[in-house]
Amino acid sequence: MKYINKMMMSSIVLALSLALPAYGAGDPAAGAQLNAQCQGCHGIVGFKSAYPKVYSVPKIGGQNYDYLVIALKAYRDGERANETMHAIASNLSDQDINDLAAYYAKTE
Amino acid sequence: MINVINRVVKAVRLEKELKRMFSKLGVVWLSVFMSLTFTAQAEDSSPRDASKIVGEVCVSCHGQDGNAMVMGAPKLGGQKADYLTKALMDYKTGIRNNAVMSAFSSTLSSAEMIAIGKYFESQTSTLTVPK
Repeated sequence: MKYINKMMMSSIVLALSLALPAYGAGDPAAGAQLNAQCQGCHGIVGFKSAYPKVYSVPKIGGQNYDYLVIALKAYRDGERANETMHAIASNLSDQDINDLAAYYAKTE
Repeated sequence: MINVINRVVKAVRLEKELKRMFSKLGVVWLSVFMSLTFTAQAEDSSPRDASKIVGEVCVSCHGQDGNAMVMGAPKLGGQKADYLTKALMDYKTGIRNNAVMSAFSSTLSSAEMIAIGKYFESQTSTLTVPK
């Protein structure tokens, strides 16, 4: 019984930790001051990137906050290969990334 | 005279040996070619229905309409189809690394990845292009 209780507790803790946002909070107002570099591609309806291959730039307004943080960090750290996004994200601090993610997650 | 005969015999042997090698090579090439065509056929002849694949595989993280409830997973509903297809292909080929997505995309054919991209694009979207 004790063992089962332990199991239940640990699964509850696990479920809670999964449910809580994995990344620190960002400030959308601060993010709005940083998005000048983003708008040229992500602010144009139907915009396509020309390099390294022509395909549509994704819509990011209203995207999930955690995903945006994961994506920007992966671009910055070179885990996700895209020269343009890597170059842009290289200059961003963790807090900048949180702020930008908060801005785009909120924008409607 | 004996030298000439020896040379002829050697040449004949060499020719036979070469022929044998080439015929073996031919078999190898044929089997490679056949396996390629058969895989291509297996891949494209029966692409599964995109909404069915989504319902079986993608749904748990991305939702049937692509409006993901799992925060770490992106919303896909209304996203650009070619971007989604590229993402799937990048996961399959290892350009993009994510254990879960690599595993799922490895089971998809090119035709299915294109169909899934179009399926999600056609769904109701909460994604926008903010100024």
